[in-house]
Amino acid sequence: MKKKSISWLLLIIATLVMTIPFSGCNGQAQTVTLENKITETITVTKTVEVVKITDDLGRQVSIEGSPSKIVSLAPSNTEILFALGLEDRVCGVTDSCDYPQAATEKDKVGAFAEIDLEKIIALNPDLILAEDMHKYEVIPALENLGFTVVAMVPHTLQDVMDSIELIGSLTGTQDEAAQVVSEMQQRIKAVTDITDGLTEAEKVKTLYVLWHEPIMSVGADTRIHELIEKAGGINIAAVAGEGYPTLALEEIININPEVIIVDSDTSLQFVLNESRLEGVDAVVNGRVYSINPDLTNRPTPRIAEALEVMAEMIQPAIFAATE
Amino acid sequence: MLSQQTEASVMEEPPKAWLYPKWRKRIAAVIALLFVLLLVILFATSTGSVEIPFGTTVSILLSKLPFTDITPNWEDGIEMIVWSVRLPRVLLAGLVGAALALAGATYQGLFRNPLADPYLIGVAQGAALGAVIGFMLPVSAAGAGIGIVPLLAFVGALLSVTIVYMLARVGKMVPVSTLILAGVALGALMGAIVSYLAIRSDMLRGIMFWLSGSFSMIEWSEVQIVFPIVVIGSVVIMLFSRPLNIMQLDEEQAQQLGISVEKMKLILLAAATMITAAAVSFVGIIGFVGIITPHAVRLIWGPDYRFLLPLSLISGAIFLILADVLARTLIAPSEIPIGIITALCGAPFFLYLLRSRIKASY
Repeated sequence: MKKKSISWLLLIIATLVMTIPFSGCNGQAQTVTLENKITETITVTKTVEVVKITDDLGRQVSIEGSPSKIVSLAPSNTEILFALGLEDRVCGVTDSCDYPQAATEKDKVGAFAEIDLEKIIALNPDLILAEDMHKYEVIPALENLGFTVVAMVPHTLQDVMDSIELIGSLTGTQDEAAQVVSEMQQRIKAVTDITDGLTEAEKVKTLYVLWHEPIMSVGADTRIHELIEKAGGINIAAVAGEGYPTLALEEIININPEVIIVDSDTSLQFVLNESRLEGVDAVVNGRVYSINPDLTNRPTPRIAEALEVMAEMIQPAIFAATE
Repeated sequence: MLSQQTEASVMEEPPKAWLYPKWRKRIAAVIALLFVLLLVILFATSTGSVEIPFGTTVSILLSKLPFTDITPNWEDGIEMIVWSVRLPRVLLAGLVGAALALAGATYQGLFRNPLADPYLIGVAQGAALGAVIGFMLPVSAAGAGIGIVPLLAFVGALLSVTIVYMLARVGKMVPVSTLILAGVALGALMGAIVSYLAIRSDMLRGIMFWLSGSFSMIEWSEVQIVFPIVVIGSVVIMLFSRPLNIMQLDEEQAQQLGISVEKMKLILLAAATMITAAAVSFVGIIGFVGIITPHAVRLIWGPDYRFLLPLSLISGAIFLILADVLARTLIAPSEIPIGIITALCGAPFFLYLLRSRIKASY
């Protein structure tokens, strides 16, 4: 163990020593290089376009040129980068980045929640795409090291599409982004055009189960709530508040949901085997469905697919035939 | 001081002990608290996020008793909520509160240490380690039967205390100080493993809920398992209330008075660990009940273990049932983790008692 950590220390020192003189994205180092290679810098600034944006955490970020080495710190960011055809420019992803399959072969920069700064330094990316959970520790640390970080924190379906367009403009793939977004819009509209016309009575009382002990569901400010409502359902957990509230078992028995959607096998087993849910309409009528959690939880282009799948579950009479 | 006086008076005229005013007061307290417990159970069963009238609740409960003839005028769903969701939850909260408070009182007496709580010598960390391993096993934690998580939590709790006991052994003796030190050390070790496994696991959500304690999905089958363990353990502990009184003087003196201290230590540790493990394995780790209830009882009714033990047991049950009512009604239909309520209500109440009775008792 000790040996290993010492060799890591040596590696990080070596990497730092190597990167400081050559690094273009290290702010402090840049002033040093400017004096020596001043002509070069001028020619570069002429052609380089500086993109200034405000990211989802309200941070002002300016990005010079089109980044060629991108590190993604969230599975959703990785999916978006691949959807925009930026596969070759992605140089680092997290352990949880498993979609598309090709993403798993990229270099790993640690787990979603535990980012390995040393690996990022070694990769020396010129753009890092972070998310909400990185705001307190990871982003400040990366900024202190001189990296360019943009955080993606989409709350609604519209936000997801906005973040795809933002990544498009940061990476010079605006056209690809526009195409991905317009396809998403079409798919979402195909569902909402029908569900918007439903009366309150035609909407289906739906319970989305994130965890079963205690039963944890989705509040009124979540993307999954939006998916349920857009798919022609009524999110029964909306009464329990915002975020991801737990919901009392007696309340579920009392409200009597017509559809239960779960996103893990253990929760599915629980719902099907819980004797006190036996009388609930969803269980009686065999309308307990399991959905891939990556579809519903990740803010990616696949959120449109999540809506289609949920619409089939919630309003099968309308959507089951259409594929 | 108080206990010594009582001892003396008992020795003079044992048959008429209950006639002494102090005894009458304490016996009255036991009966009154039992009555309060019954009322609290009824109140808690009729309270929840779904509104059900008190009368309906009582009728549903009465209709379940043999030899009663009550025609149901309520919906099946309401009966399900009262009988299958709320009552087992209330009863288990009572059993867990009783077990933790009694185990706390026992540990405090055994270790002669007011800071002792049921988790002092590794029960909680052992249970947590077992539970986390249970969560990580590929076998589904849900489904029929006991479930792998509570089973492994129970085994983990018993195993860890057994290891602590063996580590603390010096020849034929198990000194209290080494017991505590071994418990703290092993607890820290297991706590570290739990934290590591928890952050590495994809069941983090389930583990966090378990660690913060919850009564939310309690069923009758769980009450049926915990009830006999808590009853047997409690009876065993209460049989030792007189020796525990004598132990408060000094272990050596107790030995001279004919008490086999090491044997008693072993039996009491085993019984207290057993009931704590049973309580913790189904509902997770609930703090404050075990340390605060015995203290509160001691401050109000004195340190005589013959009353301290049963009064702690009943008070613990009442306290945890009421805490759980708050946990499930304050932000209904969502719930607050029970551990937050026990700490929020327990700590200020205890501080109040401590300030107001500090001169009288200590």
